[in-house]
Order: sequence, then C-alpha cells, then structure tokens
Amino acid sequence: MDLVKSLFVSASGLKAQSGRMRIIAENIANASSTGKAPDEEPYRRKIPTFKTTFDRELGAEKVELGKIAEDKSDFKSTFIPGHPAADEKGYVLQPNVNTLIETTDMREAQRSYEANLNVIESTRRMLQRTIDILKA
Amino acid sequence: MAFTELPIFQALKSKMEWHQTRQAVLAENIAHADTPGYLAREVKNYSFKDHIGRTQLGIATDVTSGGHIAATMSGQTGAEIDRGDSFEVTPSGNSVVLEEQMMKITENQMDFQAATTLYTKGLGLIRTALSK
Repeated sequence: MDLVKSLFVSASGLKAQSGRMRIIAENIANASSTGKAPDEEPYRRKIPTFKTTFDRELGAEKVELGKIAEDKSDFKSTFIPGHPAADEKGYVLQPNVNTLIETTDMREAQRSYEANLNVIESTRRMLQRTIDILKA
Repeated sequence: MAFTELPIFQALKSKMEWHQTRQAVLAENIAHADTPGYLAREVKNYSFKDHIGRTQLGIATDVTSGGHIAATMSGQTGAEIDRGDSFEVTPSGNSVVLEEQMMKITENQMDFQAATTLYTKGLGLIRTALSK
C-alpha cells in the first residue's frame, strides 16, 4: 500500500537525518580536541553523506547515510607555548572544526527532520480518513 | 452489481489511489531533501475524464472451462512519475525545495480528505435510498 510505503520512506529520512545530527554532535564536541604530543594530529572534522538506495521489498527509493568522509582542509595553529602538543616554536594544531558551520548544518538537519515528521503526520491523517469511511 | 462498482465510487477510488501514489512520491522527495544529485519528482495530473463512466478498471480473464482460474488484472491509476521542474537546484544537484514539497503534501492531504468525504456522502445517499 502506497501510504504505508510513504511512512517507511519518511522513516528512512528520519534515520538519515538523526545520523547526520550524530556526526555534527561529534564535530562540535571535539571542536577543541588537540593532540597530546607535538607529532599527533588533532581531531579531523567528519562530513556525513547521503545516498539513495532502492528498497526492493518496498518498491521505493529510501535514503541512507553513506560513507562518512573526512574534511581534508588544513588545521589552524595557535600559539600556546606551554601546551604538551606545542611544536618547538610553541604552536599547537587546532581541529578544523568551525562551530558556525556546524551550527548551520545542525539547523538544516533539524529542518529536514521536521519536514519528514510532518509527512508522517500527514500520511497518518490520510490513513485515518480512509478508516473513517467505515464509521459512516 | 455491487454498489462499489458504481461509476462514482470507481472514480473516487481511483482518485484516492492516485493521492496515495502521490503521497509516496512526495515522501521520497522530502526524505531525499539533502541527497546530492537527487531530482524532485512529481506524479502526472489526475483527470476524472480517464476514469469516470468506467464500470471496471481492470481486465478480467474469461472462464470457459471448469479448470480455469478467474483472475483480474487490477487497473493502474495511470500515475506515472516524471521529473518535474523545480524552482531551484542547489550546487550539489539537488532540486528538492522543502517549502514547495510541504505545500504539495498539504494540498494532497486536503484533496484526499475531499475524496473520502465524497465517498462517505455517496454511501450516505445509498443508505437513504435503502431508507435506513
């Protein structure tokens, strides 16, 4: 039945968006995770990707969280001479996480999640209307 | 002839099926709102002209011998999925506009409600004819 199908598709959207939210949370939580030694790399920002998968059983295209890529951009360095991870000049590599970008991404994930929730609510109402024909 | 085979019920039934198909397509669009390269899809417009006056939507097989099995091929609503035009395409190649899709979802839900209400009213008419 198509209405049940759309419920499953929306549920896959919810799952993908919550997975994205998890990655964003990891990024924000590790925004200041530097290395412990001078040769150690700080936390590298993760980027979630989405992919379309065709569900044969359902006969619909679902969405899934794809491979989690790493941000290849350069690390910033700040001057903290006493830090255990500081090099001989006193600079410490900082993670390549920009909290502003993460917050914007978070808002987008939230908006998409809400959209999927609204579709579920709308589909549920349509199902309810169909069942209501029985009551008439 | 069962009363559900009346043209009005057939037409409303096919319209409800069309709305279900559309709901599934719009749900796919919204679920893929952030998938790169995904193009929003839309179902072809529904026209009553194609369905009204038909007593039967499907094709039934003839049973000419006792060993034959009666079967019907259920009529499809003619809902085809085609790539529709969208307001904008993001740099990642995604053409889903959430606002546009939400409008369509609401519209679809309201039209579905109208169809189910008409169906209920139709049943009411028959009940009146039966004076019950």
